[in-house]
Amino acid sequence: MLGFSVAFQPGVLLYAFLGCLTGTLVGMLPGIGPLAGISILLPVTFGLDATRAIVMLAGIYYGSQYGGSTTSILMRIPGEAASVMTCIDGYAMSQRGRAGAALCIAAVGSFIAGTFGVIVLTVVAPPLGQFALGFGPPEYTALLILGLVFLAYMSSTSLIRTLLMAVVGLMIGCIGIDVMTGHFRYAFDIPELGDGIGIVPVAVGLFGLGEILSTPSHTVTAKVKAPRLAELLPNRKEWHDSAMPIARGTVLGFIVGIMPGSAHIISSFLSYALEKRVSKHPEEFGKGAIAGVAGPESANNAASTGAFVPMLALGIPTGPVTAVLMAALLIHGVPPGPTLVNEHPDVFWGFIASMYVGNLMLLALNLPMVGVFVNVLRIPYSYLYPLIIMFCIIGVYEVNHSIVDVWIMLAMGVVGYLLRKFDFDPAPLVLGLVIAPILEMSLRQSLIMSDGSWSIFFSRPIAGILLVVSAVLLLVSAASFVTKRKDWREKLADAESGDS
Amino acid sequence: MSAPPEGDHAGKRMILRRDHIAGGAFIVAAGLVLAMSGDLPFGTLASPGAGMMPKLLLILLIGFGAILVLRAGDSPPLATIEWNDIRHAATVIGLSAAATGVYTTIGFVLSMSLLTFVLLYFVERRMLWRAAAVSIGVTVGSYFLFNTLLKSPLPPMPFWF
Repeated sequence: MLGFSVAFQPGVLLYAFLGCLTGTLVGMLPGIGPLAGISILLPVTFGLDATRAIVMLAGIYYGSQYGGSTTSILMRIPGEAASVMTCIDGYAMSQRGRAGAALCIAAVGSFIAGTFGVIVLTVVAPPLGQFALGFGPPEYTALLILGLVFLAYMSSTSLIRTLLMAVVGLMIGCIGIDVMTGHFRYAFDIPELGDGIGIVPVAVGLFGLGEILSTPSHTVTAKVKAPRLAELLPNRKEWHDSAMPIARGTVLGFIVGIMPGSAHIISSFLSYALEKRVSKHPEEFGKGAIAGVAGPESANNAASTGAFVPMLALGIPTGPVTAVLMAALLIHGVPPGPTLVNEHPDVFWGFIASMYVGNLMLLALNLPMVGVFVNVLRIPYSYLYPLIIMFCIIGVYEVNHSIVDVWIMLAMGVVGYLLRKFDFDPAPLVLGLVIAPILEMSLRQSLIMSDGSWSIFFSRPIAGILLVVSAVLLLVSAASFVTKRKDWREKLADAESGDS
Repeated sequence: MSAPPEGDHAGKRMILRRDHIAGGAFIVAAGLVLAMSGDLPFGTLASPGAGMMPKLLLILLIGFGAILVLRAGDSPPLATIEWNDIRHAATVIGLSAAATGVYTTIGFVLSMSLLTFVLLYFVERRMLWRAAAVSIGVTVGSYFLFNTLLKSPLPPMPFWF
């Protein structure tokens, strides 16, 4: 009840609405995904209290999952990566004059999945947080290592490429003053680097600017026709055919969302593959099967909610977006993790309750206002990208009022551009950067505790189990890497690159 | 004159592949950083120093880079990477760098108006009045949004707002 009393405050409702609205636009616009959108808008929240800030930023995140479906269905352009699978059958439905039904099913599926996710989050997060209170440095070290290994296991690029990116991120995270000894590491006499390299310039550079650099304006076309309001309702058969895919996508998405990696992308792929496998008419997939829209859209929304479980309960991000959200909470003086629910119950429960409200808002926003949103898509990209660059610069500068951060963002933009050319996924780099200080601190504390003995990681049951699971996953990944067996990750990579 | 087909071993010529360059670049970069890390103490396992984590990571980086190079045969040839957007990327990054260079000197409004105007008018060939209206309107609007409404100051112009 505390949560709803917070969530229904007019100010919190307003920022939840602004977050959902912005998220829908962020999800729709090509070239600006949820990560860049949240990073750019992070400084806007500096004047707010922690609850309003996190409510707004989370609204952008799950709002973008809704928005991404609009461009996928109407234009065959995924506004953000999780909507790639929706392009296939959503656009095919659009070509058959059923765009309205596809949009409606996508919105309803997203609503059901999002609400289910929040209910499970409400039940699971507090006890998990209580359990994690017993974690010491060895458990945290093992948990973070498992996170990185799981990320590599789930990644659509190869094991080595993912681990390589994560190690680069961890390395960048080592820049700055070592908190345990006071040594300046790789600061090159630049005082601003003493505090280390922030996540915002890196994330905005890699994802926001990097995307703009590799997207010349002539490659983005915006021919789009909005469906009329009367065309939005699916027929009886479409409702019937969507019910089970929504249910399956919801459960699958939430489970995948808890795991580290680009969960919302992976979940939509897995859901699509599952629906195609269980369908009585798999031949319809790719030609406008409603299950191909309902399943993946539900799955990616459930996954975005699932990703909040480890963030809120353990203080561990499972992906770059939750990493930026964690950074936002830290900026507002609220450390996420096991103590959050006890020390900041208003933030914790207010945030969760706002997600119930936010999902309702998104349903109300996305269906009747699809015609209005489509007008945004008609703004030529040649006008949009110069303004996005400007907002990238504002967003990065405003965090610390440091021009060095803007230079770091520009450098990361070039790095992001080159990484795309050489087929590296920059997401693990951002995750590595965020967990670097926690991992280094807990590893060194563990070694000090054990007087330099690695056995501490295996003499404590939780740490030992987590490390054994990491080793098994690493071996499984390495086996398919060595034998060059094509598995679901390669298929996901094909789908993401549009080869489906 | 036609190029040899992919994977053609005629003449035993080695085809430079994407991962040769990528892996090599990571090895060289990690080696350079490792060379710069001499003053960071590794410490002992019982008392790890500031250099322990970075040095372990750099060794891992060199190892992963080496694996990438060794398995580069699976990656596409370097020549297949499309660079047709390089001019756009260079223009955007060059102009953004120039605007960043004068950001705190001439202020937010002037530097960002110039950046967006140059991109819209000279790069994207938009109409003069539209480019000017969009760049000035959005920049001034953003300045007031951040400075006045959000109380988060942006660099002012030397003699004006």
